[in-house]
Amino acid sequence: MTSFAPLLVLEDIRKNFGAIEALKGISFTIGKGEVVALLGDNGAGKSTLVKIISGGLEPTSGRMLFEGREFLAKSPAEAKAAGIETVYQDLSLATNVDVVANFFMGRELTRRVLGIPVLDEKAMEAVVAKALANAGTRIPSLRTKVEHLSGGQRQAIELNRFVHWGGKLVLLDEPFAALGVEQTRRGLDMIRAVANQGIGVVIITHIMQQAFQVADRIVVIRQGVVAGDVARKDTSPDAVVRMITGETLAAAGAAG
Amino acid sequence: MTPRTRRTLEFILDNLVWFMLLAILAAFSLFIPNYFQLGIFANIIEASSVLGVMSIGLALVIIAGHMDLSVESVAALSAMTVGILFCSAGIGMGITLEPAWIMVPVSLFLGMLAGGIVGAINGFLIVKLRMNAFIVTLASYIWVRGIVLAVSGGRSAQDLAPAIRWFGIQRLLGLPLTAWIAIFCFVAFSFVMAKTPFGRHLIMIGGNENATYRAGIKVNRILVITFILAGAIAGLSGWLLAIRTSGATANLGTGMLFNAFAAVVIGGVSLKGGVGALPGVYAGVLLLSSINTAINLMGVQANFTQVIHGLLVLAAVLLDALKLRLRQKLA
Repeated sequence: MTSFAPLLVLEDIRKNFGAIEALKGISFTIGKGEVVALLGDNGAGKSTLVKIISGGLEPTSGRMLFEGREFLAKSPAEAKAAGIETVYQDLSLATNVDVVANFFMGRELTRRVLGIPVLDEKAMEAVVAKALANAGTRIPSLRTKVEHLSGGQRQAIELNRFVHWGGKLVLLDEPFAALGVEQTRRGLDMIRAVANQGIGVVIITHIMQQAFQVADRIVVIRQGVVAGDVARKDTSPDAVVRMITGETLAAAGAAG
Repeated sequence: MTPRTRRTLEFILDNLVWFMLLAILAAFSLFIPNYFQLGIFANIIEASSVLGVMSIGLALVIIAGHMDLSVESVAALSAMTVGILFCSAGIGMGITLEPAWIMVPVSLFLGMLAGGIVGAINGFLIVKLRMNAFIVTLASYIWVRGIVLAVSGGRSAQDLAPAIRWFGIQRLLGLPLTAWIAIFCFVAFSFVMAKTPFGRHLIMIGGNENATYRAGIKVNRILVITFILAGAIAGLSGWLLAIRTSGATANLGTGMLFNAFAAVVIGGVSLKGGVGALPGVYAGVLLLSSINTAINLMGVQANFTQVIHGLLVLAAVLLDALKLRLRQKLA
């Protein structure tokens, strides 16, 4: 049903927390270069699903195929190694260090001095300066500790970080919560640009307008099941709202 | 505010403890007779070597967002290990090795090994079993001292082998080699913290452990290594302590933990983790040592030292809060 080659296939993913079934069998596909907007009410299971893909949680049952091979990340490090980048709702920045250190968190550039790996600060700063300039993000000094930056600036750093590292699949959990209008527009452009490189993108959002601006396909989760899986051009905001609230599926177009 | 004044202010805030040290040394030199002497300053550095080394390990753990209360007892364990094996009087077994210099690396290795083992136990319980660091290391503080007491039977070892003792006697540029060892440790670990990925990761773990885990940093591994390091470094400080006292007693080093804490906090390391640097900690140690020396010279009753140390820690924490507010204004 999509024109994209499949990148990640979810098959009947279930997750129980004790007696609570958070996910009751989720199946859908994310294509290469495709932007999928994941919508649903609070508690529908969106964040749980993202954590399962990104290695933060293990599913109770079900399987995932990543690039055609069975895939299960036991830790965020494994997911990252496989090429899955995640931008979390609560930002993943260490506010006690500077912008450069955060940008390269866990991937520091080093050079060997007498066999000891030493941080190559100059090279790292140059890369960050270029990446931020390309994205049009302005931060007074890259050596400022992140705790001195505004919420919008922090989110911009996090977004620029995933754009830079890319990988094969990017998961964004409400990435624009703290951004202004202009920055959000730029963020959406960034997502498009990333997808155009052939990277799959899953974006969780509450804002219908954003989903319709950027997504190729809209997947709605309601009470742990897929309540709708439609191409953007075949649906309307009203129809999606009805899928989210569960009023009717009739007008929603072809369900996945 | 121009960027230039801001940079100057930031620089002063970052290195406040050094300015305090200079101010205090200047004040003491002016007002206390006989304070301003090269010998006195050398003595200050010499007297701070054991505490300094111990503070490094403690600072690493605190910067990583954890706690290690066991360093004092671990140092005593290391000192007692060295004392029992290489002292010739008291409970010392008086082991001698040929050539004599080989006793230096062997004793150092054994002392650090003893410390490293305790550190590994701490690390395992805290990181793998997710037990509270405060409680685990408080327990270690007690049981490790218990081992020292039990093994020594409350008695002491004297007359450390001269080959080892040499480090406390031989001087280079007016300072005994033990002091140079402490200085070397500060330089080496300052480098590790500021310039290597390990140090960078440690600081970021202290700032936001969850974020570093998500970024794929092997948080548990780094934390366990840090606890082992803290133990081994405490072992090194115990080795220095044995050299300084030419032996070991069962209650050796008692009370040092609180001095180490004072030095770390005064040095600008925040107990909430992720904040602080080792050069500052060294300044903190020197500051404490300078004040001790001043108290000695003024002939104040020694018991007042503790009162002054306590007040200093309070002042340091107060200063920390003040600095934070200033920085927020700067941002």
